[in-house]
Amino acid sequence: MILQNLSIKRKLTLITMLTSSIALILSSVSFLIYDLVSFRNLLKQDLMTQAEIIGYNSAGAMEFKDEPAATATLSALTAKEDIVTAVLYKPDGKIFAHYFRTNKALPGFLPSHLQEKGYRFEAGYLEVFQDVTINGEHVGTLFLQSDMRQWSLRAKRYANILIIFVLVSGLFALFVSSKLQGLISKPILHLEDTMRMVSSNKNYAVRAVKTYGDEIGRLIDGFNTMLSEIQQRDTALQSTNGELKTRTQELEQEVFQRKQTQEELLSAKHAAEDANRAKSTFLANMSHELRTPLNAIIGYSEMLEEETRDSGKIENVQDLKKIQSAGKHLLSLINDVLDLSKIEAGKMGLHLETFEVSQVIEEMVTTLQSAAAKNANSIHVHLAENVSVMKADITKVRQILFNLLSNACKFTDHGTISVNVEQIKSEDRDWIRFQVHDTGIGISAKQKENLFQEFAQADASIARKYGGTGLGLAITHRFVQLMKGQINVESEPGQGAIFTVQLPAQVVIESTESKQSESAGKVLAASSETKTGLETILVIDDDPSVRDLMSRFLTKLNFHVVAAANGEEGIRLAKQVHPLLITLDVVMPDCDGWAVLNRLKSDSELAEIPVIMVTVVDNEAMGLELGASNYLIKPVDRDRLAVLVEKHRITRSTTITDDNPVPLSYVADRPAGSKTAGTRTSRSRRN
Amino acid sequence: MLRRLGILIVALSVSLSWAPESIAQASESSDSSEYLIKAGFIYNFAKFVEWPAAAFAQPDSPIVIGILGTDPFGNLIDRIVENKKIGARGLVVKRLKWSTDLKDLKDCKILFVGASEKAHLDDLVQIVKSLPILTVGETPGFAERGGVIRFVLEDNRVRFEINVEAARQADLTISSRLLTLARIIQQANADTRKPG
Repeated sequence: MILQNLSIKRKLTLITMLTSSIALILSSVSFLIYDLVSFRNLLKQDLMTQAEIIGYNSAGAMEFKDEPAATATLSALTAKEDIVTAVLYKPDGKIFAHYFRTNKALPGFLPSHLQEKGYRFEAGYLEVFQDVTINGEHVGTLFLQSDMRQWSLRAKRYANILIIFVLVSGLFALFVSSKLQGLISKPILHLEDTMRMVSSNKNYAVRAVKTYGDEIGRLIDGFNTMLSEIQQRDTALQSTNGELKTRTQELEQEVFQRKQTQEELLSAKHAAEDANRAKSTFLANMSHELRTPLNAIIGYSEMLEEETRDSGKIENVQDLKKIQSAGKHLLSLINDVLDLSKIEAGKMGLHLETFEVSQVIEEMVTTLQSAAAKNANSIHVHLAENVSVMKADITKVRQILFNLLSNACKFTDHGTISVNVEQIKSEDRDWIRFQVHDTGIGISAKQKENLFQEFAQADASIARKYGGTGLGLAITHRFVQLMKGQINVESEPGQGAIFTVQLPAQVVIESTESKQSESAGKVLAASSETKTGLETILVIDDDPSVRDLMSRFLTKLNFHVVAAANGEEGIRLAKQVHPLLITLDVVMPDCDGWAVLNRLKSDSELAEIPVIMVTVVDNEAMGLELGASNYLIKPVDRDRLAVLVEKHRITRSTTITDDNPVPLSYVADRPAGSKTAGTRTSRSRRN
Repeated sequence: MLRRLGILIVALSVSLSWAPESIAQASESSDSSEYLIKAGFIYNFAKFVEWPAAAFAQPDSPIVIGILGTDPFGNLIDRIVENKKIGARGLVVKRLKWSTDLKDLKDCKILFVGASEKAHLDDLVQIVKSLPILTVGETPGFAERGGVIRFVLEDNRVRFEINVEAARQADLTISSRLLTLARIIQQANADTRKPG
C-alpha cells in the first residue's frame, strides 16, 4: 500500500487532517441533523399554533356561516410563505372555505377525507388537522399544509456552510499539522540522519541531539548509550589490537634475540668444547712431559739409594728416600689430575671383572699398614660371611678403598680405623657395602657440602697440614658413580667419620666396550686353559737388544719366548701361538703400541691374552684403559717383571678371573724393602 | 298556520344539519327561514358574549332569553335552545310585554326587542342601560339608539351590527370573533357603518 510507504511527515499530516476532518464532519452533521430535526419540530409546533389561531379565528365565521369572513381569515396566511394550502371543512366534511398560495385549486391534492386531529409529514409536506370549536362544540376542521420551505432552505444553507467550514478548517488543519508534525518527525529524521552517518562513516563519536523528553527522546538516549558502548568497545578493541601488535613485535624481537643468543651459545659451546679438548690434550701432553723427568728422578734415586746402601753411607739413604718419596708423590698427583681430566672428558671406561672381595680388602689393608703405622693407627677389618665375589672394575674398587683408607689414616691420630664389608639386598639387587670408620678429626656440615668436589679440601689449612690435592674423594665419587653405586659420609667434627660406599655386586654397563671386555673375559677363560701347558710369551719390540734381553731373561724363568719386531708381525704371531701373555712396546715405527694393543683387545680371538706394557712412555692410564694388564716403564725392573709373569702363570693355572697379582702392590708399596726402582702401580697413588 | 309551521320545522331540521343550504333556502324565500336563522344567531350570540359573574345567581343559572313585544320566532327559538347548554348553563325563553312585564326585564340576559316596541325603544334603552343585558333588535337605528346588536339583511344574507359602546355600558364582553363578523355601530347620532 502506498499510504504505508509515505514519509512520516506526510503520514502525520494526513492522520491529523483525516482525524480532524472526520471529527469535524461528524460533529457538524450531527449538529445539523439535530438542528434540522428540532427545527422541523419547531415548524410543526409553529404550524400547529398557526392552525389553532386560524381555527379559533375561523370559529365565529364558521358558526355564523360567514364564508367571506372565513376566507378573509385564511387569506391572512399570505404572510406565511411556507403555508401552501389552508382548508376549512364543515363538520360534514364539506369544504367551507379554502386558501391556496398559488391561487390554483388543487382538489386532487387535498386530502379526500378528514383525518384525525394532529400533524403528519407526507411527501415533503407538513400537514396539520385542527378541530374548530366554540366552547368545546365542534364546528368544523381546519387543514393546513406547509411545504417546509424554511426547513429545506435552512438545510441547504447549513449544508453550504458545512462544506465551506469543513474546507476552511481542513486547510487550517493542514497548515497547523504541517507545522506541528515537526515535533515528532524532526527528532526521528535527525535520528535517522545520525544513524546513516554512523553506519556510512563508521564514526561512533557522533551523537544524536535530544530535543524533547518524550519516547523519541528516550529512544535517542538509548541510541546514544548504545553508540557510546560501541565506541568504548571499538576503542578497547583498537587498543587491544595495538597492544597485540606491539606484543607480537616484542615476541618477534625476543625470538630473534633468542636465536642470536642460541647461536652465540652454540658457538660458545663449540669454543668451550674446543677449549676443553685443548685442555685435555694439554693435560695429557703435560703429564707425559712431567712423567719422563720424574721417571729419571725416581729411577736414579732408587739406584742411588741401592748403591749408597751398598757402599755403607747410611746417612745419605734417608735423603735419597725423601727424593724418591717426593717424586712418587708428584707422580701420584699427576696421575690424579690425569684421571680427573679423563673422567671429565668422559673417557674413563670400566673394565668389569669378577674377583674375590676379601682378596682386595686384604691387599688394601696390607698396602696401607705403613700409612696407618705412621700415625699410630690400628686397622680392623670385618668381612661379613655372605661376601664372596663381585663383578666390577677392580682397579677402581681398589682405588676407591685406597683413597678412603688412606684418608682415614691421614686424618686419624692414635686411633682405630675399621673396615666393614657386607652384602645387602636393596631394590631387588645385591650390593656390596664398604664402610670405613675412623676416629679422626671428623668433618663439619659445611665441609661435607664440598667434600666430593674437585680440588676441595675441608679447608685451606688442611691442605697445609695434611697435604694432598683435594682430588682423592672427587675421583672416588666419580668412580662410584661410574659403577652406579652410592657414596655418603656421616660425620661430626671431632667425632670421626664413616664413609659408606655401596656398589652393585654385579656392575652392568650398557656401552659396547664393556660388553666386549666382558665377553673377552669369558673367551680368555676358555682359551687360557687350553694353552696352559705351553707358557709361551710373545715379546713385541722394535729394539733388537730389548727383544734379546727379554728373551734371555724370560727363558731363564722357564718360558718359551717368541719375539716380533713390529706390531703387524706381533699380531700375526699372537694369532699363531696364542701366548700366555704379551709384552708390548709403545714407541714403534709404522704401528705404535697403542694401536697394537687396541687391535689385540678388539680381536675376540686375542682379547683374552694379558698384555704387559713395557715402554718409556709413561701413560699407564692409557695402557690400562686400552686393556693392558700391567704397565712397566723401561728400564725394566727384572724382579718386578719376574713377579708379574709368575703371577700370570699362577693365576692362569688357578683362577681364571683375577689377573691382577696381589703381591705386586704389596711390593710396590714397600719401596724400602724392595729393589724395584721405577715400578709404577695403580696402588701407588695417595692423596 | 299549521302548514307554515310544518314547513318551518322541516326547514329548521334541514338548517341544523345542512346550514349553508338552509340559510340559502331561508334567506331566499320565507320569513320563517329568516327568523330561523335569526333564532340560531341569537343562540350563537350567547356563545360569544360573556356576562359579568354577578349577573347570575348561580354558576348554573340559565341564560334567560327574553322576547319583548311581538314574537317573530314562534316556537323556533324554543326548539333551537331546547336541551342546549353553554358551559354549565341552560337556556330559557321568556316572552314579555312592555306594559306588564317591565319588572322582569332585569332577569333577562338576552333581550330580543320586537318591531312592536319601536316606540318605547329609548325608554327601554334607558331601563336596561346599566343592566348586563344583551339587547338584540331588528328595527333600523336600533344599535345607533343604544341597542347592542341589530340584525340586518344584506344581499339576502342575515348579518348584524354591534354597538360596542352599548355593550360596554351593559358590562358585556363580546368576543372578537363575533366582532369580526359584525358591523360596528357608533352610539347616538353617529350613523357610520364600518365593515366587519
